[in-house]
Amino acid sequence: MNYKRHLVIASALVVPVTVIAYFLIAISYKLPFQGSAEAVKIDVMMQAHFVLIAFLFSLVAVLMLYGLVVFRRREGDDGDGDHIHGNTTLEILWTVVPLILVIGFGIWGVNLLNELTDAEAKPNQLLVHVQGQRWSWNFSYPELGVNAPANERAMVREVDDPNDSNNIDLILPVNRPIVLEMVSIDVLHSFWVPEFRVKQDLVPGQTTYLRFTPTAVGNYKLGCAEICGGRHAYMMATVRVVSEACFDQLVVQQLPLAEADASCQYEAMPNYPDSAK
Amino acid sequence: MRQLRILFSLGIVWALIGQAAGAAAGLFLVRAIRAAANLPPSAEAELVIAAMFSVFGSLLFSGVLTDWLKWCVGIETPLRHGDPDGLPAWTRYFSVDYNHKVIGIQYGVTSIIVLLVGGILAIIFRLELSWPGEQFLTPESYNTIFSAHGIIMIASILLGVGAMVNYLVPMMIGASDMAFPRLNAFSYWIAIPSAILIMAGMVIGDGWETGWVGYPPLSTIDGSPLGTQLFILGFYFNGFSSIAGAINLLVTVMIMRAKGMSLWRMPIFVWAAIATSLIQFTATQTVGAAQLMVTTQRVLKLGFFDPTFSNGLGWPAGDPILYQHLFWFYSHPVVYVFVLPGLGIISELLPVYSRKPLFGYKWVALSSLGIALVGFLVWAHHMFTSGMADVLRIPFMLATLLVAIPTGVKFFSWVGTIWGGKVTFETPMLFVLGAISVFLIGGLTGPILGTIPTDLHLHDSYWVVGHFHATMFGGFVFPFFAAIYYWYPKITGHMYNERLGKIHFWLMTPGFWLMSLGQMQVGIWGMRRRIYDYDPALGIEFTHALITLSALIIGWSVLIMIYNLITSSRTERVAAINPWGSRSPEWQVPSPLPEFNYYRPFEVVGEPYDYGVPGSVYVRDVPAAGD
Amino acid sequence: MSAAATHHDQAHDHADEHGHAHVPTYLETLRANRLGLWLFCISEVFLFVALIVVRFALWGNTRPELDQALGLATTSVLLISSYFMVRAEVAIAHGDRDKFLNSLLVTFVLGVLFLVGVVGFEWGLFGITFGDHELLKPTDGAFGAVFFGMTGIHALHVVSGLFLILMVYINGRRGGYSTERHWGVEACAIYWHYVDVVWVFFYPILYLIGTPVH
Ligand code: HEM
Ligand SMILES: [Cu+2]
Ligand SMILES: [Cu+2]
Repeated sequence: MNYKRHLVIASALVVPVTVIAYFLIAISYKLPFQGSAEAVKIDVMMQAHFVLIAFLFSLVAVLMLYGLVVFRRREGDDGDGDHIHGNTTLEILWTVVPLILVIGFGIWGVNLLNELTDAEAKPNQLLVHVQGQRWSWNFSYPELGVNAPANERAMVREVDDPNDSNNIDLILPVNRPIVLEMVSIDVLHSFWVPEFRVKQDLVPGQTTYLRFTPTAVGNYKLGCAEICGGRHAYMMATVRVVSEACFDQLVVQQLPLAEADASCQYEAMPNYPDSAK
Repeated sequence: MRQLRILFSLGIVWALIGQAAGAAAGLFLVRAIRAAANLPPSAEAELVIAAMFSVFGSLLFSGVLTDWLKWCVGIETPLRHGDPDGLPAWTRYFSVDYNHKVIGIQYGVTSIIVLLVGGILAIIFRLELSWPGEQFLTPESYNTIFSAHGIIMIASILLGVGAMVNYLVPMMIGASDMAFPRLNAFSYWIAIPSAILIMAGMVIGDGWETGWVGYPPLSTIDGSPLGTQLFILGFYFNGFSSIAGAINLLVTVMIMRAKGMSLWRMPIFVWAAIATSLIQFTATQTVGAAQLMVTTQRVLKLGFFDPTFSNGLGWPAGDPILYQHLFWFYSHPVVYVFVLPGLGIISELLPVYSRKPLFGYKWVALSSLGIALVGFLVWAHHMFTSGMADVLRIPFMLATLLVAIPTGVKFFSWVGTIWGGKVTFETPMLFVLGAISVFLIGGLTGPILGTIPTDLHLHDSYWVVGHFHATMFGGFVFPFFAAIYYWYPKITGHMYNERLGKIHFWLMTPGFWLMSLGQMQVGIWGMRRRIYDYDPALGIEFTHALITLSALIIGWSVLIMIYNLITSSRTERVAAINPWGSRSPEWQVPSPLPEFNYYRPFEVVGEPYDYGVPGSVYVRDVPAAGD
Repeated sequence: MSAAATHHDQAHDHADEHGHAHVPTYLETLRANRLGLWLFCISEVFLFVALIVVRFALWGNTRPELDQALGLATTSVLLISSYFMVRAEVAIAHGDRDKFLNSLLVTFVLGVLFLVGVVGFEWGLFGITFGDHELLKPTDGAFGAVFFGMTGIHALHVVSGLFLILMVYINGRRGGYSTERHWGVEACAIYWHYVDVVWVFFYPILYLIGTPVH
């Protein structure tokens, strides 16, 4: 049996299949809109994982299918296959190569995580207090001494989920590092805005933090990502990333929406991920 | 009259009666004591004691404790074996029996029944999720159903693992039974009342809403439904089954192997069974402790996980995250309990259908142990967003990534086994190949969850749902079905219907790919886990409809298998002794095997998978009688 | 029906329509039983270590005020009981049945005393306090939970140990054990020592380590 030749052919097939597989993944698993600086960095790593998945999938799938076709039993042949017990070089190869890959991803992961969780105060950063309870969210700005304004969304906005019982929006200024300081008064909850890519649980009895910098003006959806009972699915709120000027009007000065600049209205802002797809 | 006599000779009937009687006794006892002590009635306390009594009642009435109770008072009891006296032979499958093959079948059939229950629940909530908006469930019933689906499927998997391990290991190593046959029966018969407790939790006390993980404070907070308690206790008692079964298996393999069967000459499945048992008999204890703590917190207000306690003296309060550590210290390793036996089946069957030795036997064997051991060091990767310290997150991330290596070894060994072989594609082999393809999807989607930065997006999303369904289907469901088809002729003496088997395969495999790939897609687009309704703005409606459709296809295909299994045993298709040309000892003797597996003891004289060496055998009869 | 008796002096294999059954000798059974019991002990280690981890996670470097004299007393009682258990086992191995039974009885009584100390006094079932501090209540946050949890689980093991001792005593009086064959005694002794050793860890962890908070 000429294994070398088969191996060469199969390996040659792995390359185009990897490309096709990656292409399919890239179009079917398109990540949501990048709404934060963190999303950009995390997506690089996501894509690297996708490449790896495409490659390893193709490697195993091609070798497997190739083997099944080439080494299928022919009509009338009822002998056994070749008597091969194994190959130590190969075994070491497929232990060590993945090990190197894994170490690479490990180091990358550690560095990126350190960047994402860097607790050093940044100039211009904004502290927001988040309180989770069954089944709604509350936001306030301790440094500004104000609560997030109750919204008048029912009047101004139809983009919203009718079941969303939250009546307070989280309003954030664009391009400013945000630090969420989060508490829960009953059970576990979790803060997740898919466009921001980061997630953090709210734990009763302790304060947890989440750091990110929103980079695009728009309306986003916040959903609770940790099962918290009956209406967990509807524990949502709108996150409005607005210009510094709008932030000043809506939060710092607490102007009613109607009196604020037209560019601060809901309709004036794009909705994600709708517009992303 | 005779029918009635037979009915009331069945252990399962008595187990159910015993469970009801135990529950009633427990309920009455608590009411009486509380009334006597002038305490207000407590539904929670009644429930806990009734549940505990019900398990004991079930065991007592089924008869699985009888021998032991007799020993306690000094009566020696011979080990009963063979068909029951004066009753049809089939009744032994419904009663306490000490034969490992009977117990294996009992486990297997129960596993499939429980699988159907869990599957029906899945179909129900998948229908709810087919479209956004509220369909026909309430949020509360939705929560109960998906939670029950999770834990019931886990119960089914543990039963299925019990089936494979029990039936196959003694047979493969040439033992006439397990080391402790009575303990073996106990392991099975305690799984029944536990499963019933879990299912009862859905109906009694408004179900529960915590998912299979049961995180406090949701599982302990005031006003959380009583069903939570039944689920926790069912989970807890099931642990006894795991621990007892695993100890039994380890002893069996340690001391009852046939002459000449050194560790490196055991069938590869036995290695997988060892690795599985090592996990089961240790890690199960910690989740048991966690369940007891939740129970005491609910009933007696012990504040293990209650962060709100304060008495002004600076005394410490409880910590909800502590539960997650105890829970995942078991529940991560247990995912390997689910898959290692299945991966063992893949490695066991591939050489037979490829007519070629297993590639890198020692590496495959050691990779099972490696997965089991590394599996103990990665539990907190389920808690990357829980709020634990970064000094903990990082080592767990690194350890998690390491698991990929022994997993990779298995894949490459499987490919290596096929290359150079002469492969045929009977139904069991198809399921083995399906298992590899599905497990590949599951394994490849793991590392992206293992690196924390990417997990921050994917955690508690449908990506995780897709990932673990792929691992469990690829690592358990597909190989389990492969094993059923493969050993069916040995078990029944009849051949299954090949055409139906192939139809089953060609429905289930693409159906499954569609389902898990779809789940991952909606997950990455922002679909949260465990939600009853989703935001149409995510643009995931079409995929959700597809997922539901594929769930239905999978469901139907399983029904085809069950039909096949039931009808084939009644047909004339008598199977050959060794239809697959396997070298394994059980295939060298006529089907079905006798009570004690072999008519003569055998000794191991060759390698288990030496296909392609003319004239070589794995086992041969020990020449003379006696030891 | 051919019944395979559990006890055979010689390894005796029988073959009939049921196939070949290897009937284990007493020594083979003994080996299996020993292995099984030790595996069970290892399994339980995970339970007790889990409890200890919970103690350190929740209490950290603190502990509640407990009655030191009582703690020392119960610990000593349990340790002494282990001595009598050894004595019982040695006695049966030498065929001294009276000594065996008496020692077993003493072990049992000491075990009960231990329970009276921990469950009776320390848990406050009798409502008696010795020192000037109040009794700990189960609902006292992490202090109550861990203390009652750990002593409770341990007490459950002591109770089951006592049950075993009782069984062995009853069987022993009937002459159920001989110099060569007394696996029941051995198992009971191993279990009892095991439960004792667990307490040797629990005692300092609950009573001695950390600074008391008033
Ligand atoms: C390449 C190897 C694997 C890696 C790196 C890996 C990694 C992970 C990670 C990090 C999570 C947590 C995801 C999250 O909640 O954010 C996870 C979840 C899960 N994994 Fe894996 N995994 C691997 C293989 C497996 C295998 C073989 C199984 C076997 C059944 C498995 C079963 C599960 C299950 C059941 C969950 C979800 C548990 C739950 O939250 O309910 N994984 N995996
Ligand atoms: Cu929530
Ligand atoms: Cu895990």
